[in-house]
Amino acid sequence: MIKRIFLVITILIGTAAFVGKGAVFAATAEENYKFYCAQCHGLDGKGEGVNAKPKAFGIDLPEMSVTPRNHTSSVDMSKLSDIDVQNAISDGGASVSKSSIMPPFGKTLTEAEIKDLTAYLRKLCKCKGK
Amino acid sequence: MSVGKVGRLMVLVVMTAFVVGFSWNLSYADGKGIFASKNCGSCHQIAGPAAEKTFDDQLKKKGPELWYSGSKFKSEWLRGWLEKPATIRLLKYNSITEKNSEKHPALSKKEAEDVADYLMTLTAKEVTAGGVTEASTPQGKNLFVKRYGCVGCHSIKAGAQKAGGASGPDLSEAGKRLKGDWVYAYLKEPKVFKPVKRMPIFVGIINDNEMKTIAGFVAGQK
Ligand code: HEC
Ligand code: HEC
Ligand code: HEC
Repeated sequence: MIKRIFLVITILIGTAAFVGKGAVFAATAEENYKFYCAQCHGLDGKGEGVNAKPKAFGIDLPEMSVTPRNHTSSVDMSKLSDIDVQNAISDGGASVSKSSIMPPFGKTLTEAEIKDLTAYLRKLCKCKGK
Repeated sequence: MSVGKVGRLMVLVVMTAFVVGFSWNLSYADGKGIFASKNCGSCHQIAGPAAEKTFDDQLKKKGPELWYSGSKFKSEWLRGWLEKPATIRLLKYNSITEKNSEKHPALSKKEAEDVADYLMTLTAKEVTAGGVTEASTPQGKNLFVKRYGCVGCHSIKAGAQKAGGASGPDLSEAGKRLKGDWVYAYLKEPKVFKPVKRMPIFVGIINDNEMKTIAGFVAGQK
């Protein structure tokens, strides 16, 4: 009896360890956007996240000196090619002669995730790159 | 001796034993015991290493990790803060939309000292002392504000006011709270201290010297 319980426990632990190892963390573009980008660009992508407009969230700090891009604006977003967008995300605003307040995510996100995010931005602006 | 006297004597012995035992307990109710009895561990991770892999792992946490407290905090600050906690993270823990209006549990002066002494024994081997000069240098400010945009998410002092982002902890008095050597290690070893966070990884973007200068700048904010 004891032996059997022991066996069952061993199998359970073994399976748990295996499942744990097998599960690789892959976030969808939307999840990445909400976790990383929304703090500045806003959950809806309009460029009004808490860092951009702290007062709108009840926090007594001045507005950001440079407004984060409104990702829902087809006028603004269609001026950028997909490569421009990917470079901005990967290497930050400074790399595309924009504000360094747009941080570099190239060491945080994989290339595939950055491509997915670019596609996600195209959905937000309902527009194509130039 | 009459039976009554024996009875009274026994009561006295038992009571003395109780009182002695109680005060013995009190003197041993050190920081670790207070931490456990106040349930601080329900919100704070006290043993490393960091195990978070997914956003969910992070989002279900209720408070910052304390398992490397001794490497991270300045002990004077820790004692003072535990007695009179003040807001560090402007937003509610893990939120990017809700203001932090929670009151952190406070301890008595004696409890705060004991708990601080206990927390200061928890260290991380990745933090080595002495590599960082804590000073609010113009070079550091330039890197923090202009070059790498740290100020987009963290507030620092700007004259009499504060300016910067609100999603990262307020750093306007970080030098009272954080050790420069820890800030450097935090930038250098993001996976060790905080594998899943809204702050980007800067390893491979900021070089080692600049990292030390920025860390010194952060720990120079007082
Ligand atoms: C710390 C705040 C902040 C965060 C976080 C942030 N951004 Fe930005 N972003 C900005 C600002 C500010 C600008 C505008 C820069 C300018 O116009 O000079 C910008 C601009 C952009 C642009 C336009 C670049 C261009 O060439 O005009 C894109 C695309 C972009 N961000 C995507 C993202 C994505 C995707 C994320 C999340 C992975 C993200 N941003 C996270 C602040 C931020
Ligand atoms: C309900 C959850 C909760 C409980 C219980 C709790 N804390 Fe906290 N603690 C937090 C949160 C959230 C913060 C962040 C506060 C801030 O940034 O303003 C925090 C911050 C701290 C900090 C500063 C950490 C840092 O990185 O800045 C210390 C030290 C601390 N708590 C110790 C304790 C001790 C000791 C106890 C028990 C007496 C305790 N906490 C109980 C949630 C909790
Ligand atoms: C996109 C926003 C963002 C940017 C840009 C950013 N940070 Fe952060 N930072 C955060 C957040 C959010 C945290 C809190 C992480 C956590 O504990 O969940 C943090 C945490 C920290 C901490 C630890 C504070 C503590 O008390 O635990 C330090 C130090 C720090 N950042 C320094 C920097 C420096 C230096 C830079 C620029 C090189 C920088 N940050 C850029 C968002 C950011």
